[in-house]
Amino acid sequence: MQELAASYFDGRSAQAHAVTLRLADGVLHIVAADSQEVLRSVQMRDVQWPERTRHGKRVAHLAGGGLVQTDDTVAWDTWVAANGQHESLVVKMQQSWRTVLASAVILICLIGAVYAWGLPLLSDVLVEATPASVDQSLGEAALTAVDAQLMAPTQLSADEQSRIQEAWKQVVAAQAPEQVPQWELVFRKSKIGPNAFALPGGTMVMTDEMVKLVDGDTQVLSAILGHELGHLQHRDSLRMLIQVGVLGSISSVALGDFSSVMATVPVLLGQAGYSREAEHAADVYSVQVMKAAHISPAVMVVMFDKMAERNREKAKGAAKDGDAEEPSWLGIAFASHPADAERIAFFKQAAQ
Amino acid sequence: MDESIESVLPESGSSHSLKLQFTGSGSEYFRIWIVNLLLTIVTLGIYFPWAKVRKLRYFYGNTLVGGEPLGFHGDPKKMLKGYALVAVLFICYSFAGEFSPMAGLIALLVIAALSPALLKSSMQFRLANTSWRALRFHFAGDLNGAYRAMLPLFAPGALIAFLSVLHPVTDPESLTWQGKALSLLGLAAVVFAPWFFWRLKKYQHDNYALGGQQTRLSASVGDFYALAAKVIGLYILCGALIPLGILIEAFIFGFGASGESGGGKHIAAFIGFALLLLVPLFVAVYAFWLARFQDLLWNQTASTDIRFKSQLHFKSMFWLTVKNWVLIAFTFGLYWPFAAIATQRLRVQAMSLEMSIAPEQLVADGLEHADEAVGLAAGDFFGFDIGL
Repeated sequence: MQELAASYFDGRSAQAHAVTLRLADGVLHIVAADSQEVLRSVQMRDVQWPERTRHGKRVAHLAGGGLVQTDDTVAWDTWVAANGQHESLVVKMQQSWRTVLASAVILICLIGAVYAWGLPLLSDVLVEATPASVDQSLGEAALTAVDAQLMAPTQLSADEQSRIQEAWKQVVAAQAPEQVPQWELVFRKSKIGPNAFALPGGTMVMTDEMVKLVDGDTQVLSAILGHELGHLQHRDSLRMLIQVGVLGSISSVALGDFSSVMATVPVLLGQAGYSREAEHAADVYSVQVMKAAHISPAVMVVMFDKMAERNREKAKGAAKDGDAEEPSWLGIAFASHPADAERIAFFKQAAQ
Repeated sequence: MDESIESVLPESGSSHSLKLQFTGSGSEYFRIWIVNLLLTIVTLGIYFPWAKVRKLRYFYGNTLVGGEPLGFHGDPKKMLKGYALVAVLFICYSFAGEFSPMAGLIALLVIAALSPALLKSSMQFRLANTSWRALRFHFAGDLNGAYRAMLPLFAPGALIAFLSVLHPVTDPESLTWQGKALSLLGLAAVVFAPWFFWRLKKYQHDNYALGGQQTRLSASVGDFYALAAKVIGLYILCGALIPLGILIEAFIFGFGASGESGGGKHIAAFIGFALLLLVPLFVAVYAFWLARFQDLLWNQTASTDIRFKSQLHFKSMFWLTVKNWVLIAFTFGLYWPFAAIATQRLRVQAMSLEMSIAPEQLVADGLEHADEAVGLAAGDFFGFDIGL
């Protein structure tokens, strides 16, 4: 019969007792080393058996309080194995570098697959399952917030507004109806410079500054609105919310035990990647809209040129380099939009 | 052989010094972490409580107090229910604000009203499931105390949220009025932050109990303000060093010599270099804060017969933080578990205990039965922890 020398705490006092452990018929007997008196007998299923680790002691906690333990891990492991105790698969995996390396490889592939296919698929399903009324109320809340902080009422004349509205309506009329989501075009004076954006639910905001930037050219404005309509068609705002939520939970589960600041880095990087894809998809949609309305996709380049010119002028005062900066790989990793040069090339190519 | 068996019961009154050791290893935790992560992802998160228990058992089991390890007794099945409940709460909270400001406000108020209760049950769960020499700890704080400790923390926050929802900005005049009220409240929040923090820590450190011993935090609110002043002062000093650094650079290299556009490039390079300097400076302040705060907290935590000591050196904390961040970046995160172990080792081994009775004389107080798994889950989601 196998025996093991150990120490025993009864759970009532902090005093340690030198004991001998015996296993017989599914019962663990704890026997005092000196008097040979049986101090306690515990059913084996009521013992929380320790898992094999390379560091630390072997401590078995007993149901109802108390523990037995030893520093001699080799003796403990031999004793437990000789008594027919099996190790769980998880412990075997943890203790072999081979399975750990295999797990790491599977993990990396899995994370790659989840990122490339799993999460986009999941967001598709969730976006599909979300009623349009959710987009609607999200959009209303967003418009209220944007109006309060970043926008003022438009200063474009009523004529100018209706000229742009009419031109855009004609472009939309040229599309296949099932390809066009619900939309509404509004104008605002911006506190953040030329911009245009789409809010969930169908509101597209065009800023006065953007209209001025392209000298009111309705073809260019329609190209920009086509891009925003693409975001609406793909319900990108809702998709982004879902993606940030899922990425955030995965990252905090995996990495949250060391630093929560660092756990946000993969979320930022991951979301920026999805965002660039969404922007490209919206560009593709915009080209499709323009082609159906017989506008050359090349007009979008006008917007990029004017933007670049405006940035150059702003930079002059700020004593910054005049040349357009080379996109670094770090910049790309964090950027929400693809590089301008890439997008310009895309629209030029689409025009051919 | 255990030291405790060899030691004979000494007469009471003499002092016993107990060292804290941490015997966990980075490479072993790396293996546990990888397998945990894989199983958590494969089971779509259901394995998470089991992973958490494995991790905590490893960390507790390798934390030796006077040669005896701590034990963690949390039941993953109960914890799973707790996590599910808190996850639902958390999802409601995150999405409510996106729908309407009013829904966001209601969610915020609900969370604010619940959080002291969550804090209390989080502490209770942690302590009740921790043992040393087979004696369970317990958390003696009550619900009333939790609400009293945290109320000042949420009152200004709720007021700010309430103001901005009930009085949406309509005309510029009300904007300035509201802006003033908000910035006043914000300023008050900063001024009172050390006091809030002190109340919170006092609630926690006044209520740790083991074998008839209950700790008290004797650090005063003044100590917290003094530390906060030092940390803020260091931040300001770091900020002031940047323009100085740029000036010195300018003197050394000189600019303007290579013409207009070249000068521009130089300035950009100077600013980039200065920003690069900023990172280690802020890491240094962060490490200073971690080290001094652990010392402040634990050196002033004591029960009738037990006194804690902490001597965490700023220099070692600083170098460890720098090393961890650099290696995590270079290994694309794979160094993470090594960093977690190294940090724990440094922080644990800086501590020791002074007991005026023999550790063997401690006896269970029979108060350790609370088992609220929701608590631990809440702690994870909302960021409460006992700090060590």
